[in-house]
Amino acid sequence: MALHNVVLPNEDSRQLLPIPKKEAKLYMSFMYVAFISLFIGGLMGLLQVLVRSGNFTLPFGIGYYQILTVHGVILALVLTTFFIIGFQFALMSKTVGMSDKQRNLSWLAFWIMTIGTIMTAITILLGKASVLYTFYAPLKAHPAFYIGLAFVIVGTWVAAFVNWRQLYLWKKKHPGEKSPLLAFMVTINMIMWFIASLGIAVAVLVQFIPWSLGYAETINVLVSRTLFWYFGHPLVYFWLLPAYMAWYAIIPKIIGGKLFSDSLARLSFVLFLFFSIPVGFHHQLTEPGIDPTWKFIQVVLTFMVIIPSLMTAFSLFATFEITGRRKGYGGLFGWFKHLPWKDVRFFAPFVGMLAFIPGGAGGIINASHQMNTLVHNTIWVTGHFHLTVATTVILTFFGITYWLIPHLTGRKLTKSVNRLGIIQTIVWGIGMLIMSGAMHIQGLLGGPRRSDYSEYGGTEQAVTWGAYQMAQAIGGTILFVGIILMVYIFIKLAFFSPKGDEEFPIAEEEENAEPTPMWMENWKLWVAITIALILFAYTIPFVDIIQNSPPGSVPFDWPIGNS
Amino acid sequence: MKQHGKTHTNVDKEPNLKGTLISVGVLGLFIIISWVAVFAIFLSR
Repeated sequence: MALHNVVLPNEDSRQLLPIPKKEAKLYMSFMYVAFISLFIGGLMGLLQVLVRSGNFTLPFGIGYYQILTVHGVILALVLTTFFIIGFQFALMSKTVGMSDKQRNLSWLAFWIMTIGTIMTAITILLGKASVLYTFYAPLKAHPAFYIGLAFVIVGTWVAAFVNWRQLYLWKKKHPGEKSPLLAFMVTINMIMWFIASLGIAVAVLVQFIPWSLGYAETINVLVSRTLFWYFGHPLVYFWLLPAYMAWYAIIPKIIGGKLFSDSLARLSFVLFLFFSIPVGFHHQLTEPGIDPTWKFIQVVLTFMVIIPSLMTAFSLFATFEITGRRKGYGGLFGWFKHLPWKDVRFFAPFVGMLAFIPGGAGGIINASHQMNTLVHNTIWVTGHFHLTVATTVILTFFGITYWLIPHLTGRKLTKSVNRLGIIQTIVWGIGMLIMSGAMHIQGLLGGPRRSDYSEYGGTEQAVTWGAYQMAQAIGGTILFVGIILMVYIFIKLAFFSPKGDEEFPIAEEEENAEPTPMWMENWKLWVAITIALILFAYTIPFVDIIQNSPPGSVPFDWPIGNS
Repeated sequence: MKQHGKTHTNVDKEPNLKGTLISVGVLGLFIIISWVAVFAIFLSR
């Protein structure tokens, strides 16, 4: 084997760096916003399921679509983004380090994101932006809503540039060495996020802001929705990839094992970069005005994402089995029985992984072109993403919280908090099984998503939905108990747990691991292929959409009480 | 010496991944069954 083609594992490059107090404060600031968001967003979720059960009316003239917008924006956009950026900074700091200048820039990122969040939140709370988190035109929110969102995006870009700079400087110091796996993964995620969020930035800056300010009379609805979903699907992977970082590189350490394969983990992340973006049309399969051929092409590209997803599933099972067998547990599934079920750092993400099995299967169904008509705009879809983001991703984030928060605050994860965490995970699992299960079934029976409670004039079909809406209220209430538990655990870990040194678990490679090929780090090639795939999937249909669009729409503000 | 030799063989041996094979098989089967079930509803409507 030609040695210059591979990079041998190097002790020095694997050394973990301490996180100084000044940095820990920065990462904790992201976590505070994330957990405040969890509480507010969760409370809104509880109110929604109660309203939809038909037995509860919102007080003080609060609108259903107002709380639905708070729920979606604060959980899907704020909680996730703040947790991810904070967590990724911690990973970068631990593996490649952070300079003072980078820390200052990271604070800038934090404040830009926070100011944007506050602007957006105020407009929603004043009832001036009940446009849901997808903010579809021609519903018009107050301009501050869109400007606030633009701030959040710009803040994440600053974070992305800091992350890339961190890796760049590390590579300059370690010529010829492969980058640490977690730093590689963070870099991939931020490249994907940056390329994807350009779409939403264009929509917000060029279309929504001038239109909402009255400078532009009309908006091209289809262009705005296409730009949203160009961003909206990779957004899903922006949530998911940090969970995968934990699954690939942190969970093996927690269960006492090693990395299954450094190369496989990197390859799966590269494939996610390729196939997360040129697939937005699978959210628009019922949209008139998009050429069906290009919908079909993007459906095929969507199905390519199954490859890295199954690679991940295989890799996880293999990690569990190899670790268990090494510990001496024989038989076909002895290794499974002896996984550390009583360690919440493993248990919570594991339940998340489990939820991804029906979550992924549902995703394949949603993306299956004509079959999408069966579930499109039904509450099945809401059930689907409550499995993926609200269980798989969030339980993995909770799993990370149990060690990351005490690590950053110089405290310990105590036995009692660990036990409470196990209970929290079970509560979450049961609540979600009931709520998401009911949503899936009601969706198959035609129950709509997004909408306020209605008896639909007493139609027979709507009568069949009642029991499932009640089940969602029960599941949602159980989930809210889970949220209270989690917020309590967060406060306990951040302020009251005994002082100590909690491990930052990062798995190592096997002693005799196959070296990772050098071409894995060919960033220019990965970015070039990503852009080529996007241009291929979007150029012709996008030009077609612009050339053949119906007249644009004037703003509609009265349906959401914004007139 | 004997023990050392045994350890060495274990390290070089391909790991036993029978459980993994069955697990991913079950996972694949679950995906196919779910898809076919919903497809059947699609056809019946």
